Amino acid sequence: MSQPETRRPGVLPLRPTVDGIVTLDGSTAKLDGDNPMVIQNPKAFVHHHTYGNLTPFFQGLAEGKLLGTRNPRADAPETRVWLPPRVYDPDTWEKMEWAEVEAVGRIFTHTTVIYPGALFRASVPCPLISVEIEGVCTKLMSYLAEGEPEIGMPIKARFNTENPTHTILDLSWVPA
Amino acid sequence: MIKFKEGNLRVPRLQRPVYVVAGGMTDFRKRYTEKATEELVVEAARMAFEENDLKVSADELRGMVNFCVYSQFADHFGDQLLAEARVHDALGFDPLGNFGVKTGGATGGSSVLAGMMAVASGYASCVPVVGWERMDEVGTREGNAYIASAADKNFESELGWIYTSYYALMAQRYLHENDVARDVLAKIAVKNRGYARYSPFSQAPLDITEQDVLESRFVSDPLSFLDCCLMSTGAACLVLADEETAFKISDDPIKLTMGAGSHTLRTADRRDMEIPLLPNETPDLYKDYKWEYPGFSSFLAARMAAYYAYNAAGIHDPVEDFDLLETHDAFTISDIQTYEDIGLRPYGRGREFIESGDAYFEGKLPTNLTGGLLGTMHSVGATGIFQIVETMWQLQGKWAKYHADPQLWQRFGKTKPEQFRDLQVKNPRRACTVSHAGTGSHVTVSVLEKVTKEYHHEPA
Repeated sequence: MSQPETRRPGVLPLRPTVDGIVTLDGSTAKLDGDNPMVIQNPKAFVHHHTYGNLTPFFQGLAEGKLLGTRNPRADAPETRVWLPPRVYDPDTWEKMEWAEVEAVGRIFTHTTVIYPGALFRASVPCPLISVEIEGVCTKLMSYLAEGEPEIGMPIKARFNTENPTHTILDLSWVPA
Repeated sequence: MIKFKEGNLRVPRLQRPVYVVAGGMTDFRKRYTEKATEELVVEAARMAFEENDLKVSADELRGMVNFCVYSQFADHFGDQLLAEARVHDALGFDPLGNFGVKTGGATGGSSVLAGMMAVASGYASCVPVVGWERMDEVGTREGNAYIASAADKNFESELGWIYTSYYALMAQRYLHENDVARDVLAKIAVKNRGYARYSPFSQAPLDITEQDVLESRFVSDPLSFLDCCLMSTGAACLVLADEETAFKISDDPIKLTMGAGSHTLRTADRRDMEIPLLPNETPDLYKDYKWEYPGFSSFLAARMAAYYAYNAAGIHDPVEDFDLLETHDAFTISDIQTYEDIGLRPYGRGREFIESGDAYFEGKLPTNLTGGLLGTMHSVGATGIFQIVETMWQLQGKWAKYHADPQLWQRFGKTKPEQFRDLQVKNPRRACTVSHAGTGSHVTVSVLEKVTKEYHHEPA
């Protein structure tokens, strides 16, 4: 026979704790150890992160384009393309303009990730690369989708246009 | 910026000298569930206030404090925003002013810098700087994801969610440019873990060989588990004071001068530039340097911090002028890079510092005798403070008091090893510590100096 609920009017009944989800209704945390007492505080909040005016870069990846930015002023201290892009030129604080970059480059350096951190979404081993692109004043961190990485290796971009994640993972590289 | 104007390179000039007068810490553990954060912090502070042969009682010293600086890297780890307020309350310093400082891995160094500024400016005369990190609420993989949240979340974090990979990219390039093999890096891993065997505070003392390091599994090649630092829980505390106050508190205060530098969070955004020179370098040294600078091989932030600190403290040649050094050996590769950034060897020749024997006990500049981040601790907010506390004890000739006493080992539930080595450096005068964040986003360099009586002017 079930017990009648004894609670103050207006207070919601406790919901069962779902593993990995924090309950905001006062349900108790799970006990991990009792001497000293250690409790589990699970959390799963969603952050709504904006790319702001960097959005065209991530849109570009979904459309198969590699977009950087450059200062349109011919006498700017840095006239090459920035990739990752900048909305404002860090040298002058002027608004940059978008420029499509030919999606070929060379491997500047590389590593193969064996033990990634908890939020890693790709499979391991995963060859990370830093890409050197002509006319670009920065390097770009990415990953090699096929082949073994070597410093100086010519590569070309591959875009995840079918099921874009709208993250930097939509861009990868393969041997050119 | 990649070109400097006059104001950018102004050397720091303190309004008055600043001294470190006391230090203390807990031991460091991967998991420290026996104690809550506030307990760890109070225990580190008690050691600083009660066990440093001071001329004033702990109660009198508490009465001299007029501002506090707190050092915690990541609110994520302790899962407590504004932890500074809880700690300040636990230490009983309310309602005095305080603030927390956050600059990633360099949080400890930056916090001491903030305390130094407070004392040097005259805002305060006695400032405890207290640091901690509670890194054991999550597992190692989750902890690495939290740490990788300190990479660029739009363009980098997703690519590995682990800082080891970001350093591995640097390592691969460094080894390529400088024709260095992994066995050079392995020497650093062996050395620092070996020194950790003589520290009651250490988390991972290990008697290992270079072969062990080379055969250890890769986390992200070319960096293996033994090339990487610890993830620790623990706390450290030091006390800063102006000259008049310092000599009321201690007969042996240590003078402190610091500099800070920074560089882009993304390693890849570091545009090629001319190498800024340290006092022991001349322009012709790099006329044939063929690589991009700083590229992936160097930390401009460390170079700039050394530039400001050395020039402010009158350091000309760090290997000659310093008697010991603590680097931020988060990874073996970052250690060898730092040797060059702070002028121990010219760029491209960092390997010589370890291969020559200079970096070892009884070498020209013993480095990381504490066991460093590889062997003893990286409880991030405490790290830069731990380095300065240990270095102060060395300069005061008190290494044995804080390392060789079997009772201290017992305090932390350990037994002093039978095969023990006294790592007190003989008559040290000056020392240096390096606190470092990101892949070199923030770096502080500290110059610590033992003062002689002629430096000390009795107040009128």
